[in-house]
Amino acid sequence: MWVYEKKLQYPVRVDTCNPALAAMILEQFGGADGELSAGIRYLTQRWHMPTNQAKGILTDIGTEELAHWEIIGTIVWKLVKDAKPEQIKGTPFEAHFVNHGKSPFPHNAAGYAWTATFIQSKEDPIADLHEDMAAEQKARATYEHLIRISDDPGVTDALRFLREREVVHFQRFGETLNIVQEYMDKKKYY
Amino acid sequence: MDQKKYSEYSCMLEPKYKLARAYVPNQVMGRIFEPREALKKGTLFPELYMPYKYGKKRDYYRHRKYR
Amino acid sequence: MDCKQLALLKEIMEISFCLVETNLYLDTHPTDERALRIHNTFAKKYDELTNRYRMKYGPLMPTSMSKCPWQWIESPWPWEIDYSKCD
Repeated sequence: MWVYEKKLQYPVRVDTCNPALAAMILEQFGGADGELSAGIRYLTQRWHMPTNQAKGILTDIGTEELAHWEIIGTIVWKLVKDAKPEQIKGTPFEAHFVNHGKSPFPHNAAGYAWTATFIQSKEDPIADLHEDMAAEQKARATYEHLIRISDDPGVTDALRFLREREVVHFQRFGETLNIVQEYMDKKKYY
Repeated sequence: MDQKKYSEYSCMLEPKYKLARAYVPNQVMGRIFEPREALKKGTLFPELYMPYKYGKKRDYYRHRKYR
Repeated sequence: MDCKQLALLKEIMEISFCLVETNLYLDTHPTDERALRIHNTFAKKYDELTNRYRMKYGPLMPTSMSKCPWQWIESPWPWEIDYSKCD
């Protein structure tokens, strides 16, 4: 089960009212390589993992991804909460606004709704851990694209934090892959 | 083949590494950041701190110096 | 939320983040005794800080005891806080 802690993982600062940037940040709220995909992917892959290290890392990184999803939602909300309709009109956020108002919604920057086809679980620990390592790299690349287009210093600061988390998670999944490979070798020969 | 290339090659022949497999070197924990700095940087571990260079070159190089 | 409360909340966020890091590291290095010592030091500090926060400003988790009215819903929600206001 999960227990909610009434705090964000990172103190998000947003310096501008910026519907155009909010629309792009939604990529990480409901896009293929976003935080929702990451969380659901890792938490879904736990049942068939062969070692306690792998069960632990998927549980704990999966949980952290949900905290990142909350950070992204907070960024989007703070970027649009004070925007008047005239400030939204003509920006890429306009199509989102006519359906969802200012509420964050899990679709990508182009408006494509989140779907389980963004993730995978194969009941094969090696295949799944490779998917997870690739997911961390794709998320890192997405954060770099977002950092390049961000014109809000506070948002850029939070994006840099989230990008660095992808680097750490990649390392942990890599170590988990080593552990699982070694475990499966032993099982085969003894 | 120069010395460096040869040692890289022989490392790949170590019996613990197998073909058609991916490996990530295991982290050995070194010194750690202070809590405030850790949260700001996004990691507790200096050896894993690899910031994106775009628009923030100075910070990146300052860190690389004391590695 | 005044500056004193925000400062304590930020300190909790810092220690809590260090705990996430030692947690993930220990998942793949379960016998690293130095990492365990560091984790336990953070865990102790985290308990001290969250207890102090709860006494002064109310609970961070719904599993805490509460006065009347129900304190859990009273304090600001994480996405409503201006984290830069006292910088």
